[in-house]
Formats: sequence, structure tokens, C-alpha cells
Amino acid sequence: MARFITTLKHCGLYAGFELHRLWLTRRGLMTLAATAVLWFFLLRYAIAPASDLIGSEGFQQMFRDAFGAFGLSQLFAWPAPELAIYWILSLMLLPLLCLFFTANQLCSDLERGTLRLLALRSSRLSIVLGRFSGQMLVQSCLILLSLVATLSLAAWREGGLTLAMLNAAAVIAVNLLLVLLPFTALMSCFSAMVRSSRLAVSLAIVSLGLVFVLLSTFVFYFPDFLFLLGYMPGTQVMQLLPMQGWQTLQHALLPLLQTLVLLSSATFLLTRKAL
Amino acid sequence: MNAIIQCQQLAKRFGSKTVLQQLSFELHQGDVAALIGPNGAGKTTLFSILCGYLPPDSGSARIFGHKAGSSALFGKVAALPQDAQFDPAFSIGEQLDFYGRLQGLSSKAAREESKRVLALVELTEQLQHKAGALSHGMRKRAAIAQAFIGTPQLVLLDEPTAGLDPVNALHIRQLISRLSGEVSFMISSHNIFELEQLCNKVLYLENGQLKQHSGSDNAAQLQYLTLHLEQDNNDAISAALRQLPGLIDLHSAQRRELVLSYNPQHNADFDLAVLQCLAANGWRYRNLTKGQTLEQKLFNPA
Repeated sequence: MARFITTLKHCGLYAGFELHRLWLTRRGLMTLAATAVLWFFLLRYAIAPASDLIGSEGFQQMFRDAFGAFGLSQLFAWPAPELAIYWILSLMLLPLLCLFFTANQLCSDLERGTLRLLALRSSRLSIVLGRFSGQMLVQSCLILLSLVATLSLAAWREGGLTLAMLNAAAVIAVNLLLVLLPFTALMSCFSAMVRSSRLAVSLAIVSLGLVFVLLSTFVFYFPDFLFLLGYMPGTQVMQLLPMQGWQTLQHALLPLLQTLVLLSSATFLLTRKAL
Repeated sequence: MNAIIQCQQLAKRFGSKTVLQQLSFELHQGDVAALIGPNGAGKTTLFSILCGYLPPDSGSARIFGHKAGSSALFGKVAALPQDAQFDPAFSIGEQLDFYGRLQGLSSKAAREESKRVLALVELTEQLQHKAGALSHGMRKRAAIAQAFIGTPQLVLLDEPTAGLDPVNALHIRQLISRLSGEVSFMISSHNIFELEQLCNKVLYLENGQLKQHSGSDNAAQLQYLTLHLEQDNNDAISAALRQLPGLIDLHSAQRRELVLSYNPQHNADFDLAVLQCLAANGWRYRNLTKGQTLEQKLFNPA
């Protein structure tokens, strides 16, 4: 029990340290600036114009005719078109960006030997869980900031914020974090394996691609195993796209289980690794 | 006496290269042990196993009765690992505070502890500076400082004074010497002079094997004097010294250095006799040291 409490306490300390890195170090501020610039362009040149387009009756009719069969016409049911566009863009973009943002959970510390100083004071489980929690906290901050910007845009166009908008924003935030959980945990694994964040990203992209190709080939010859493709990280994204509201949480179990498995693997890898 | 480090039949290989072979030794409370050996002898590998960074292939390494690297040792065992660096994004103070917090200190206590350990290595004024802004020597001293956070009972130091200027190396030696009563140390270094000053036990590793495992000089039958002359040694000096009662052997380790072994039971004042002999013949000496140097013990055993 005491060990469990210590692990939790250490996780909190590591997560706090990562937040400190985001808000109070030059590198963290650069990350914030990069995120702000990215979302400025998305808001200015994608979300704002697309919101006007989505709001028009003619476009809605055309879209229903073209994509109604896929359920995508549900996008018009969002309380603000800005949130619908944000939902689509972030669901498609953030998993990929997450691979880059969270690649350096352990690599630099492994390379510098800083992990040796940490491993004298906390277990490798605490280090993996703490860094993972820290990255999730950092991503939560970035998501919340971009959501606040999107809500401001919607409020400015609509002339005010509604409770439905705030509720929809909460749905988006929770779902995005659920989608990002397995990708962040995947990067915990790769950053525990190699000493360079670039190599970790490359390995992650190649591995995901390779697993997808191998599984697809396998499924081509054995169609009964089609369900296996549904276990790839991020596969629920396509199911989430036409959904909205808290019913989206029906797809939460899979990413949670994937995260558990990947974090266990990361801990196993780091425990076996010579520091 | 309770052993703080117990290694039994420790072995480690990297590929086809055997780095440690069936290494067994014990260290006890209060010991300051020197780990010596040529490059590639396995010193850093042994350190890494003791710190829990590497698992041994076979055998066991136990510290305070726990497996090396066990969570029960957090805060009890501290180390200066070779080449470990601080995170360049944070100040030294922030990182030491963080280490203190991980060791269970409150925020305030961790800050006080950071100041204390930085004062130990005379780096108080660097508290707010980032690691990247410090010189190599300062970074090394800051890394030594982290090993003294809290109340460690065993400190493992891998090359603690390598890369330090003589004054700071002296400060680190004085620090180790000052703390050696309450803390046990294991120090790896190539500086024999330093180890001789600090250590009461020597582990000499060669090709992954423990070649010597010795304690301090306490032999009753045989003692040594090391004599440094101001002039080159010559046959006349050797002949005169060989006449002294109690002398067992005399050999010249260097041009102006003589090592004399004698039996103290035959001549308790042998050192005085040596000085009288030198004075009577007008031979001047630079110093006379009891015992052999560590270098002589390891590499020129009499």
C-alpha cells in the first residue's frame, strides 16, 4: 500500500514537472507558441470560413445528399458549426501531432543519463506513469486553449455562448483525450526503447503502418479476422466522426484498454533497459 | 559486523565480452572503499549493477539486505553515475528541489536541502542557473551535490574528481573525508593518491575479476616505511640502511624513493633509527612515510 501511494505521489511530481516544463521553460513556451500559430491558421483559414459554409442551407442539403448515408450529416447537429469543424479537424490531426509532441517522454533523459539520477529515487513504473501523465496534462492544456479559442470564435459569430456549446466543448475535450491516450502510451513505449525522439517518431509511424499493412493482408486472406483491424490505435476515430454528445463515450473502453497494455509494455521495456 | 554491500558470484557479459566474472566481496558500515582497475576492467559495470541500472547475468548484489535497485533503497543509496547530466531546460536548483521532493521532502524542505548540498560543493550562487550555463567542473560538482540530498547511508561515486581543478578536487576529497564517519562510500577513480587518502579498503578489478581485496595496514609482523630522498639513491645509502636492526628488505621503487620493510617487534623505533642513520651520514630526505603507497601495494608488491 505504501509503495502504491509513493508511486502515485511520484507520478504527481513527474506530471507537475512536465507542466512546469510547458509553462515555465523556453522549450515549453515554444511548444505553446507553435500550437497557437497552428490553431490560428486553422481557425482563421479553415474553421471560420467553413463555419459560414456549413451554416448555409444549400451546403447542408448538398452534404446530406452526398454523405447522409455515412451519418456525417450529424455534423450539422452540433450547437455551433465551429465546434463541428474543430471536432473533425482535431480528431484527424491530433493523433498524428501527438506522436511528435509526446515522442520525448524518456529519450533525452536516457541519452543524457538523467534517468540514472531519477532511478535512484523512484521506480521505473513511476517514471513511465509520471511522464505519461505529464504528457496527458500538457495535451489537455493545449486542447483546452484551442477549444477556448474555437468557442470564442463561435460566441463572437453567434453573439454569445450557450450551455449547449459548453457541453459540446466538454464532450470534445474528453473524447480527444481518450483518443490521444493510446497514442501517448505508444510513444511511452518507443521513447523507452530508443535514445532519440526523432527515431521514436519514425519507429512509431513505421510500426503503425507495418502493423496495418500486415493485418490488412492477413484479413484479405482470412476475412473472418476483420475485427482485428478494430484493435489498432485510433480506429474508433472514424466511428466517432458522425457522433456527438456523451454517447461518444461508448467507444471509450477500447482506447483505455489499449493504453493499459501499452503502458505495461513501456514499463516492461524500461525496467529491462540498461540505463 | 553488518555488511552494507554483499556481492556473490556476480557475473556480467556484453555479447561475447565478459565484463565481470564471479565477483564476490562485502563492504561494511563506515567503510570507504576504493574501486581501482585499468580501463575496461568492469568498474562502471559494477557501479551500474550496484545502482540498479543493470541487472547481473548471474549472482547477486544486495545492499542493506535488499536487491540492488530495489525501491527500499531509495534515499538510502546515492550515487554519482559516470557522465549523468542534468536536464538543460531547468535550473540546478529546480532539479535538486525535484530530487528532494522525490525523496519525500516537502517543497520548502527540498529548497533548503538544495541550498545545503550546493553549499557543500561551493555552488550556492549557481542555484538559479541552468545546467547548460555551467562549466564542466561546476556541472560535475552539482552532480556530486545531488548525491548528498537527504541522508544517504551509502554513496557510490564514479570518478568524482575527474575533470575538476585541483582546488575543487581537494574540496571534494575534504567533503568525503568529513562525511566518511557517518556515510559509507565506494569510490572509483584512477587517482591513486586520492584513493590512498580517502579509503580504508581497496577492490582492485582487472579483466572483470577481483585481483585484490584488502583492508588497511595492520600487520603486526611486517611494516613498511617509504623514504623520499633529496638525492638519488646510491649503494652507500642502501648499504647503511641495510645495517639497521629489524630491517627485512629494502628496495628502490623510484630513483629517489626507497621502500623499507621491517619487523616492529625487533625494532619498535625503526623509523627513528632510519632518521639517525640519515643524519649521521649527512644525507637529506624529503619525507618519510609510514606504510607503502597504494600504488606500491597494487603495482609493485614487495
